[in-house]
Amino acid sequence: MKAVKEIIWSVIKNNISLEAEKWLEDFIQLPDQSLQVAKAFVMLPRKTGKLLVAINDDQQKALDTAGFGYIRSWTIDRLSRVWLLSNLTIQDKEQLYSTLERLFLSAEVNEAVALYSALPFLPYPEIWVKRCAEGIRSNIGSVLEAIMENNPYPSAHLNEAAWNQLVLKAFFTEKNIKLIVGLDERANLQLALTLVDYAKERWAAGRQVNPQLWRLVGKFINAEIFEDLKIGLRHYDQTEQRAIALAVTESEFQPAKDYINTFPELKLALADGSLNWNSF
Amino acid sequence: MCCSSSIARDKALMGEPEAFDISAVKGMRFFDPHVHMTSRTTDDYQAMADAGVVALIEPAFWLGQPRTGLDSFRDYYSSLIGWERFRSSQFGIKHYCTIGLNSREANNESLAEQVMEILPLFIYKEGVVGIGEIGFDDQTAAEEKYYRLQLELAKEAGLPVQVHTPHRDKKKGTQRSMDIALEHGLDPYQVIIDHNNEETVKEVLDRGFFAAFTIYPFTKMGNERMVEIVKQYGAERIMVNSAADWGISDPLAVPKTAALMKMRGLSDHDIELVTYRNAITAFAQSGQIDEADFNAQADLTEKFEGNTILRGGQQPRPDKSSIIIS
Repeated sequence: MKAVKEIIWSVIKNNISLEAEKWLEDFIQLPDQSLQVAKAFVMLPRKTGKLLVAINDDQQKALDTAGFGYIRSWTIDRLSRVWLLSNLTIQDKEQLYSTLERLFLSAEVNEAVALYSALPFLPYPEIWVKRCAEGIRSNIGSVLEAIMENNPYPSAHLNEAAWNQLVLKAFFTEKNIKLIVGLDERANLQLALTLVDYAKERWAAGRQVNPQLWRLVGKFINAEIFEDLKIGLRHYDQTEQRAIALAVTESEFQPAKDYINTFPELKLALADGSLNWNSF
Repeated sequence: MCCSSSIARDKALMGEPEAFDISAVKGMRFFDPHVHMTSRTTDDYQAMADAGVVALIEPAFWLGQPRTGLDSFRDYYSSLIGWERFRSSQFGIKHYCTIGLNSREANNESLAEQVMEILPLFIYKEGVVGIGEIGFDDQTAAEEKYYRLQLELAKEAGLPVQVHTPHRDKKKGTQRSMDIALEHGLDPYQVIIDHNNEETVKEVLDRGFFAAFTIYPFTKMGNERMVEIVKQYGAERIMVNSAADWGISDPLAVPKTAALMKMRGLSDHDIELVTYRNAITAFAQSGQIDEADFNAQADLTEKFEGNTILRGGQQPRPDKSSIIIS
């Protein structure tokens, strides 16, 4: 993480004035950070501006390798705030928690986005679990995106119930499912059953289902889920049918595989092996 | 292919616009048993009164973002039985409320404990017609704990319960809400299960609960679907509400649904049950609803703690079509 922070610092330096750079460095040297951090964190955009960060090729390559390539879509205030939080020298766990919790409780939207974006960079990852779960209860789109999309913290640390809530809410709020870190690795039966119920509810309301939903169901297809898949295959659009067919290829449940083969179009679509979850 | 909102897609979802012709239900009276008026404007009150809404229930809920201290809860509950009730009365609409700790904020356990301590101060007040809206959101252990505690409170106070069912994992969440209510010995006839859809309605009715439906654009029920549900299940123990709040919602959802039911051939009797009578039957079990109160003329000179919404000689009925605001 130290290496990542160094690359991030090099990116920040390329994107802010010398004056702002000195201001950030001075803050990190402060002996009483916990008293000063709220002010610094809140006023930071006045120093750094709010433009999208510019990243050179070497920096991007290094960030990609470390799994943080996504910060290219951040603004400089967001990145600087995350850097600032990740460089706090407060060692005491309780003190760090209460200092940041105070920031969370009074955060406006951009501050909240930066705070949740900082979770993967903070020490004592276990103490932020409840805060992360609370963030998923937000109704504010950009806050949810900061938690759900391109954030490695939730899949690494949330328990199954909170994780399932994150994924479900991502479907409900139409987030980009493909950007959820750890999506396939954390698929589970409970989530699959809930998503199938959700699909049925959408169908009953005459609405479409996001095809990405089925990638979380495939491995868990059983006799009960199979009955529901049949409804989807019989009545709904080609995209959904193909997604269901692709999910079935990830299943061990033979009756579902046999059933898919009764649809010539789907059999053909699967035959050349080019259909994958990025096709949707 | 997925997934961001677009105006074109939203328009497609809504279908061809069809004018709301209030004359189809002229003279009918409506009761909206779930609407968050603190989030709405005086124009909404005016439009509701004009469309025949004579009474409503405002359930206590969360404010779009979490409260951070007890005093915010206290002030909110006070506003439901105070200022908001008064504001409503100035439009001739009888305002009731349900009081409770909503499911989302039940997850802040240290605050939830404090809120539970002040709830008894509010639930016995005049015009409080139930405990609500309570239930599940994420379906966490903390939500379950405070749902159970508030069911006990309702039982002790003899009040109906207005149960919010979760958006996500709705079917299981609805079943679980009913199981727990029965486990605590509540009479299903005193429990209103809210935000139903096609997937939940049958079991709710079969088990003897009231089934409320929220007519809310895009995310909950559409009123055409609602018409089909009443055709299929009949009108007994079914009610509709708007749940209008700070989101894109429609405070005229109840009269509009009544008009659509009329146009689609439902009987006046069934329409009255679903948009007026059943809600009263359910919540009047609190002993706090008297229909004779509904027709009180708006007393526009009335004041609440020295304040009135009519400031400095303002006319009670501004002409909205005029460019001049005087």
